[in-house]
Amino acid sequence: MTLKDQFRFVRQNMKKNKLRIFMTVLATAIGCTFLIVLASVGFGLHQSIVKETLADRVVTEISVHSAPDDEGNYSRPGEEDIRYLESLEGVKAVTRRQNLMQAPKFSFKDYETEQQATIAHMPSEVKAGFELSKGELPSEENEIIVGYHFQEQLRKKSAETESQQENQPNKAEHYEGSLIGKSIDMTVKKVIDGEEKTRTIPLIISGIGEAPSREWMKDQNIYISESILKQVESFTNTPKGMIDPEGQKHNLEKDFSGYDEVKVYTESLEDVKPVTDQIEREGYSTYSVLKEMDQINMIFTIMKAGLILIGTIAVLIASIGIYNTMTMAVTERAPDIGIMKAIGANPKTIKRIFLLESSYIGLIGAVVGTILAYVISAIVNFGLPLIIESAFQEQLPKSLKFSSIPLSLVLIAVGICLLVTIISGVRPAKRATKIDILKAMRREV
Amino acid sequence: MIKVKHVSHHFEMGKKGRKTVLPVLHDLSFEIHKGEIVAIAGKSGSGKSTLLNLISGFIRPVEGEIWIEGTKVTDLNESQFADFRLEHIGFIFQNFQLIPSMTAYENIELPLILKGLDVKARKKKTEETLEKVGLGQFGDHYPSELSGGQQQRVSIARALVSNPPLILADEPTGSLDSDTESELLDFIKQLNEELGITFLIITHDEEVASIGNRTIVVKDGQMVQGG
Repeated sequence: MTLKDQFRFVRQNMKKNKLRIFMTVLATAIGCTFLIVLASVGFGLHQSIVKETLADRVVTEISVHSAPDDEGNYSRPGEEDIRYLESLEGVKAVTRRQNLMQAPKFSFKDYETEQQATIAHMPSEVKAGFELSKGELPSEENEIIVGYHFQEQLRKKSAETESQQENQPNKAEHYEGSLIGKSIDMTVKKVIDGEEKTRTIPLIISGIGEAPSREWMKDQNIYISESILKQVESFTNTPKGMIDPEGQKHNLEKDFSGYDEVKVYTESLEDVKPVTDQIEREGYSTYSVLKEMDQINMIFTIMKAGLILIGTIAVLIASIGIYNTMTMAVTERAPDIGIMKAIGANPKTIKRIFLLESSYIGLIGAVVGTILAYVISAIVNFGLPLIIESAFQEQLPKSLKFSSIPLSLVLIAVGICLLVTIISGVRPAKRATKIDILKAMRREV
Repeated sequence: MIKVKHVSHHFEMGKKGRKTVLPVLHDLSFEIHKGEIVAIAGKSGSGKSTLLNLISGFIRPVEGEIWIEGTKVTDLNESQFADFRLEHIGFIFQNFQLIPSMTAYENIELPLILKGLDVKARKKKTEETLEKVGLGQFGDHYPSELSGGQQQRVSIARALVSNPPLILADEPTGSLDSDTESELLDFIKQLNEELGITFLIITHDEEVASIGNRTIVVKDGQMVQGG
């Protein structure tokens, strides 16, 4: 018997009891929809969190936090560590930054602001991808680079207090002209015996950094050179310009040497893992987006598997309906099966017809269930944020997606649905092959 | 064509643990040659229907061997016997055994579908056979829309359609009136003469038995005449 004829038989048989078949398909479809929609929440949240995590992040960046010394004590990474990190295969650049341990006052004409200054190694920053929107990199020791939004912070001396209170920069109050090549004064202070003393260091802005990729991100940094730091240190007589009213003696070498922030940039995404592994083997502790992603992915994989498992229970419940439908079909058709067997139908053919029927129910249920799941998913993604926003008066992130149905989820759900329905049809199909020809023809089954 | 060698059969009756054995056939042996019409006659309960069911493979003998067309069918498993029936044996039953949800055409076509013939070949064969049994215009009728004689003709057409060398008929006239009965017997004779089909007919009716080349009479599970 050809497969085409078997399908014809199945369709003919299904037409005999349309309502029962419809209800069974409906139960299977609901089970499949439940499975997909439930798991789609896991997929949707995973996608949203990954998107949120990766937004504005450099995936080839590895932060290196501390390095052990000969005695096993952890300290900040120093020059030797930088040289080691730069020597690794697959490393494109190693940026290192130190923070000035006070916020100097920057004054330009009638404008001024207090900002944190960062001592950056510009060649490695540029190698890592730092770009300027205006001007050029510093060539003299007193030249600095400012962040894209630094200018917004330069406010008129009289307007500062009012503006700070409102915490919103007023356009009319901050400097609007070009800063490139302009001289700006950095005033640092120190406290000796309760008395505050200041020193002004004249600087020249040589370049302005590029705007961050997202509108809401602000780059107000000021990048100064190592020699400017030395000038500050010679004035304060403390490491990194720290204001120390107590006048404590600090162990410069031990407590403050090294870099506050060291970042390794790899040549490609594939290099991140081997480079991270190698750095960690040397005893450094590292952090990278990829490492964070591994953890996120693992948690969500477990969550998704759990949701699929719970959803499968719904399909299993639907399979009871299929088992019932198929058992009734076998009982009802027993005389016909008896006749078919008598005239030469192979038991395997009989079994195949019934298995095809249960798979057919499962397939239709899975297809209908998948379409239904997509509709529900779209409604949830559209409607739920509106409900939450109106009920709780909270603005949800635009990238947040409650439900996402990737092709892999559809394939998993359809696979589970088909498997469960085929299994539930096996016993009735086997029963059909065992029907006694004589009893069936006498209508005794 | 058919060789029955020392076949014995009994049924186990009653509940498990308290079963009683009911002997039905005892050491039966006979042979049927190609192209013969052989009637197996006997009273009700003599074991003639059991004999037909054993030859059909619907039940298996407790003892003995059955050979059909050189194949020891008693050695075949259920699946092999089903394939053997499809190729070599046609059936005519007392109460026709047509599938009620299928039209006359579809009932006749069924053995060809099981054989895996393509649609075109099936259509040609089925239409030819419908014509042969004189039901050309009744193809679209369901069994319930046909008379007893017409239903039996559909049953015969289904047995004939795959050209089997042997047709087993169990009380083929049992549900028919006398006019239709003689019409059917003439038709069987005609098929035997024209196509050389071997017929084994189970009957308790002497008139039916008379169309056979010979009659095997079974009484109390033993052959008393015609072997």
